[in-house]
Amino acid sequence: MLRRLIMLLALALAPLAGGPALAHQQKIAITTVSANPRTGMIEVIHQVPVHDAEHALTMQGVRLPDIVGSAKSREDFASYVTTRFLLDVDGKPVSLAYVGAEISGGSLMVYQEAPAPKGEATLRVNSQILTDVWVRQENRVNIGSGTKVTTFIFTAGDAAREAPLTR
Amino acid sequence: MRFVLFVAALLFAIPAHAQGIQQTKGNYEDKFRQLDEVLPTPNTYRNASGAPGHEYWQQKVDYNITATLDEPRRRITAKATIRYTNNSPDSLPWLWMQLDQNIFRNDSMAEMTDAFGGPGRRGPKVSLGSANEPTKLSMDELRRQQAMADNSYGYDINAVKTLAGADLPHTIVGTLMRIDLPQPLAPGESTEFTIDWAFNIVEEDAVVARSGYEHFPDDPRKGGNDIFLLAQWFPRMVAYSDYEGWHNKEFLGRGEFTLEFGDYTVEMTVPNDHIVASTGVLQNPETVLTAAQRQRLEAAKDADAPMFIVTPEEAAAAERGNPSGSKTWKFAAQNVRDFAWASSRKFMWDAQGHKQPGAKHETVMAMSFWPKEGGDLWRKYSTAAVVHTMKVYSRFSFDYPYPTAQSVNGPVGGMEYPMITFNGPRTTLNKDGTRTYSLAEKVFLVGVVIHEVGHIYFPMTVNSDERQWTWMDEGLNSFLDSVAGYEWDPDMPWTRSLPRDMVSYMVSSQQEPIMTQSDSVTNLGANAYGKPSAALHLLRDTVIGRERFDFAFREYARRWKFKRPTPADFFRTMEEASGTDLDWFWRGWFYTTDHVDISLDSIYRLRIDTEDPDIDLPRRRAERADEPEVVGIGLNEQQRLPIWVMENPGVTDFYDKNDEFTVTPKDRKSYTSFLEGLDPWERKVFDRAVKEDANYYVLNFSNKGGLVMPIILGLTFKDGKTEKMTIPAEIWRRNSRDVAKLLVFPKGKELVQVVVDPDWETADADIENNHYPRRIIPSRIEAFKSERSKARVSRDLMGEAAGAEPDGRK
Repeated sequence: MLRRLIMLLALALAPLAGGPALAHQQKIAITTVSANPRTGMIEVIHQVPVHDAEHALTMQGVRLPDIVGSAKSREDFASYVTTRFLLDVDGKPVSLAYVGAEISGGSLMVYQEAPAPKGEATLRVNSQILTDVWVRQENRVNIGSGTKVTTFIFTAGDAAREAPLTR
Repeated sequence: MRFVLFVAALLFAIPAHAQGIQQTKGNYEDKFRQLDEVLPTPNTYRNASGAPGHEYWQQKVDYNITATLDEPRRRITAKATIRYTNNSPDSLPWLWMQLDQNIFRNDSMAEMTDAFGGPGRRGPKVSLGSANEPTKLSMDELRRQQAMADNSYGYDINAVKTLAGADLPHTIVGTLMRIDLPQPLAPGESTEFTIDWAFNIVEEDAVVARSGYEHFPDDPRKGGNDIFLLAQWFPRMVAYSDYEGWHNKEFLGRGEFTLEFGDYTVEMTVPNDHIVASTGVLQNPETVLTAAQRQRLEAAKDADAPMFIVTPEEAAAAERGNPSGSKTWKFAAQNVRDFAWASSRKFMWDAQGHKQPGAKHETVMAMSFWPKEGGDLWRKYSTAAVVHTMKVYSRFSFDYPYPTAQSVNGPVGGMEYPMITFNGPRTTLNKDGTRTYSLAEKVFLVGVVIHEVGHIYFPMTVNSDERQWTWMDEGLNSFLDSVAGYEWDPDMPWTRSLPRDMVSYMVSSQQEPIMTQSDSVTNLGANAYGKPSAALHLLRDTVIGRERFDFAFREYARRWKFKRPTPADFFRTMEEASGTDLDWFWRGWFYTTDHVDISLDSIYRLRIDTEDPDIDLPRRRAERADEPEVVGIGLNEQQRLPIWVMENPGVTDFYDKNDEFTVTPKDRKSYTSFLEGLDPWERKVFDRAVKEDANYYVLNFSNKGGLVMPIILGLTFKDGKTEKMTIPAEIWRRNSRDVAKLLVFPKGKELVQVVVDPDWETADADIENNHYPRRIIPSRIEAFKSERSKARVSRDLMGEAAGAEPDGRK
């Protein structure tokens, strides 16, 4: 399914369904991008509500819960997430390594990382996770660790935004 | 509109200090300032303790509706007689109605203000181009555009007349309609009028709404079948209240509704092979149900488990067949604020009587209606979840207030109405004809049924205004649904909305206070569902305590049952009934975007000086001995540099045998005169302190997040014992940035480690500065790498275990 999804995204007319009116669905993904001085890596953590993730895929025309139901399903959904998140460091695209994914509470956590540059760096990010599924999807990206973060909110089609990587 | 102005005034007023209180020197910030200047002035309609005032009033609207569903044309034609009772002290020259179907008109405000590529409305995606991506219209947006172009949506208001048949002048303004009365409606009087209307039902999957039809093209019947969910399907009276007058705010799709309570009788004529689920109680079962179905319904009242009223076999037969005519179902509902229904020949139906001894409705019929696509997921869990919801929610509020509680499966993911809810989760059809589902889908079904049935309490009975304050029902309901979820199965991965889950949202630099008008909020889920839910969990389990919180929460529900509360009524009731000043809590969590981050910066250990030179001076000497040696002296030794005193051992004096801590008679005399100089009470206190020789610690905290919170301390002592201590938030009242706290422990009880908020109760955003001494907190990714935990809840393990292969259809 993932392959099909990516293929269709390449078309100008992407046959992706709008989600139904869900009184309790969040349609939010929160991503945190921060530098870890211990490991020397930029760590990227995506938090997507499980309901949203599974239901979104269910609603993508195919209506198959097995999109996350096959043996590799969660990993496949996680790698879909990684294709919808773009990161440039100092103007150069960074390919984030996929670390893994796990369920925490009602959320699917997806982990990625890449080596952090030494010294000052400017990040350019764009989070389009599930914006191809729901018009109401609003993605929040916090850049920075702990409580000193810069937040950007992305909706479908928004351009990338820039912020310094604080340590 | 008034609310918008109020919020604007609030946001702009704080920096300008327009309310007359100004801190003009220094940087003192009063996190405990009373909310008096923010909350509306109490009056005779709603009093200062948060209860309805002695002159509280609300309007009453009764509807008598006859409606016909034209299945082939997917059109409703209806007529209503509406009786409006003016209980307000005001004369009303006109009445306002909500025409919610008009949101689907091509020229509606919702359509016209839908920002392309923005999150404007519920519906399929469009995307604005960016540097790397072309502007896109999805297939579904095209489908929506085509549906909007091909069909004429919105109400056809065919007549508005007096009972005598005279036309009433009326003006349609978007989703609102003003009806001018022949003469003003005086306080205490009623007026009746009739409306004839019709509308084309939207296809839910194409247009995306809170109701509509869903088509099943693969059904065995030629042309397939539909499920019809009818909500916002009749012109509804706009609320008129003491604090807002007419609640005239255009329906933009997100901010839901508030309405007036009243009695309904509704007759719906549908194809005679349909089953209808509806708000209210069926009045003519003998006409619309078979004798067997009536008998089953009767038996279900005392059943221990859900019983089929319409069996899967009966539903399967109906799904294949065709109607031979029509049937009229008649329902009546008392004291409800809205009315919704569903109709389809696909429905199977089960029911179970839920007993509430001593309640107005001692037997509540918990019922579910679903097509075969719902499968075992629905058979096992839907009605069971309805019953569970009533058991848990009634403990926190009041007996379930209506005779029925229903869950209906259809195209809407989750939506609530009095006595009836629409819930979306379904099973997956496999190629071998079996139906399976993932654990996530199961959690989703149980969770959404609890949530939507929970809405029958809030806001269907406690009638808050979701168009303005989404959190008042969604936040309270998310809190209660997580409580009910844990009481269903604590091990299921609920969307739990505990404080610890909200940290990444609460530290965001872009967010709005919870007290923001619902159409303006970004991330409504986090803002109006998650954050208030987290706040209430925190109030219940940490700040107030369960007993007093539950008492106060129940009091709020009881006071405002079948009435119309505002945020101030909730805030005031919770304070008054729990006996806790919570203005600081509401101010921080609901009126600001602060987050929680309390840092334990340092701990100093103090010891009482005995003043006795024979005790204190040896202590000093020991302290000095514990200090590290001066580095240069050590290096001198390593270099074997000659030291003068070593080379001249014969030259000594008093100071070679006595150090600076040597006790002299002068010291002892001074000690004696110190003791003699003490008053008897001082002597007593001093002697005891010296004898006890307790451990004194000064803990220095700083508030880095802004939100003031109780300081919860996990204390570890040298002997390995641990203790938990909670310092109330009021410690921050004089200085909300830095505070110090003295802790005293008996001799021998030596503190070795302190952790702030050890159980992650307060949404403290930075764990690292909670530990003293500091320690390395692995990042989530580091922790994940070390654990490599693997979640399996999203997989259709049931299907995998059976080796099933998913089919491509519903």
